[in-house]
Amino acid sequence: MRGYVLRRLGAGIVLLALASLLVFALLRVVPGDPTITKLGGARNIDPAALAQLRQELGLDRSVVSQYLSWVGGLVQGDLGQSYFSQYAVTTLIGQRVVPTLELAALAFVLGLALAVPAALVSATRPRSIAARAVNGATAALMAAPPFLVGIAFVIVLGVQARLLPTRGYVPFVDDPLENLRLIAMPALTLGLAVAAPLVVLLRASLEEALRAPFIRTATGKGLTHRRVVLTHALPNALIPSLTYLGVTVGYLLGGVVVVEYVFGWPGLGSLVVDAVLKRDYAVLQSVVLLAVAIFVLVTFVTDLLYGVLDPRLRVGEGRA
Amino acid sequence: MSATVATGPALDVAVAARVGVLRRLARRPAAVAAAVAIALLLVLSLLATPIAGSPTAIDTREILAPPSSAHWLGTDDLGRDLLARTLAGGRLTLLVAFGAMAVSMLVGTIWGFVAAAAGRAVDEGLMRAADACLAIPPILLALILVAAFGSSTTTLALVSGLLLAPQAARIARSALMSELRSDYRLAARAVGAGPLRIVFGELLPNASPALIAQASLNVAWAIGIEASLSFLGLGVQPPDASWGTLLQDGYESLYRSIWLTVVPAVAIFVAILAFNTFGTQLQHALDPRQEER
Repeated sequence: MRGYVLRRLGAGIVLLALASLLVFALLRVVPGDPTITKLGGARNIDPAALAQLRQELGLDRSVVSQYLSWVGGLVQGDLGQSYFSQYAVTTLIGQRVVPTLELAALAFVLGLALAVPAALVSATRPRSIAARAVNGATAALMAAPPFLVGIAFVIVLGVQARLLPTRGYVPFVDDPLENLRLIAMPALTLGLAVAAPLVVLLRASLEEALRAPFIRTATGKGLTHRRVVLTHALPNALIPSLTYLGVTVGYLLGGVVVVEYVFGWPGLGSLVVDAVLKRDYAVLQSVVLLAVAIFVLVTFVTDLLYGVLDPRLRVGEGRA
Repeated sequence: MSATVATGPALDVAVAARVGVLRRLARRPAAVAAAVAIALLLVLSLLATPIAGSPTAIDTREILAPPSSAHWLGTDDLGRDLLARTLAGGRLTLLVAFGAMAVSMLVGTIWGFVAAAAGRAVDEGLMRAADACLAIPPILLALILVAAFGSSTTTLALVSGLLLAPQAARIARSALMSELRSDYRLAARAVGAGPLRIVFGELLPNASPALIAQASLNVAWAIGIEASLSFLGLGVQPPDASWGTLLQDGYESLYRSIWLTVVPAVAIFVAILAFNTFGTQLQHALDPRQEER
């Protein structure tokens, strides 16, 4: 088991290091100076001010030394200074992390709550109308980018029915009810985006589990169909979808970017978009790396859980 | 691809297999519907101006008009015909998407083929690199690439293409791996065909249905990436208009007219659904074990 854990951890760290190199290198290959935007465009620039700003931000040093000081800072939890605003990158991330976490967590829970019953219906009664509806909806949701679903919600529930506010954010502690009204549509949008691939995966593993010999045994000893499905097939079918958790979180991290923009949600996604518009590479590289780190961490944890739940995976490695 | 078919009994079998795939594909209603939709989309956007008129002609008497007989889908805030703008926008979106597909398939096929044909160490390295690229959520990678390379139509196609290349590399690798082990390849080598002729004359044509399926999926992905980036204001830049920029414009005047948002959104959805369905149907047709599904 220890060899398995160490190998997974090593793979995660290598992936993170590669991603940091990739992100950093991509943002440095193209000539052009992000500080010019801050000083108000390419014309009428005071060379002395430019030089001073570049020195303050460390942009006058070599690319290698910039990379090393970024990575060195990362390890100590210091992400450096934003090129554009006067704040530290950690401060900017700190302001945005709560809305995004709230949105992502709620979307994740909603996604699971939608996917499990949908997959159960689709796998156990494949010819029913409900199953056909689930299959159709899943196919459509797999094709539609999440933000299109969000726009559909805005039009139907916001603009036409005027049931929910279409954009904005209020902290939960200030006004819980308004916070929930505002988060309903973005969370449902992301939840559906998470649910669709999960339904496909769960349906397949449920179908496989339902064909397994132990299901025949359970039916044979007289259990009701309901119990067979819920207590025998479902738990076994859930294990394979656990590995999919990392991919799901990746989906969430990507989906959050455009969905936050649709609903004017002031989270990390809007921070990233803003950083691209202003060419604030200091913010951009750190937020993207944060996303990759979350992805790598979730993948690592699910690998561990999988190793615990499915002993076949670690057999042979522990003996060495 | 049929132009590259050489002679020999083994090759006839391979050709027959490819024709079989087409026949199985034609028996799938979803595949046929998707193919028809794709053909319609291509014709409509290629003939955008002859069909619907100029996308930039301004009709000042009809500002933000609802659908009517003069303007089938209504007009935008400057009095421009929405149908004309949508069809012309489709031309740009599909141009970017097909460009991205071409880049991704070119890079991905070479990437996957080198991995499949070279030794284990190279294979391992190339496929780990593909994994690393796939670990960054695509939209974030797209944002970085756009921040680095800017956003012209060409760079958009390049950026989306590079983004989709790792997945294409995986598919190309596995498709070519199985072809490399085939009997006809051995036969071709036995009759003295050179490596280039084996690759271009035989391996690629036989791996092509799998690659075409992936290409179709990549077009769908690229449409989604273009739409997302342009919607964020980071893709196609005005005065050029694509479905993504139309959607962004429409979303800003949502409370004055929902048509400006609904029409490009539906166009994006239908196009993605069509290319996606065609790709997955072709994949299923290639794998007869899944026929009954």
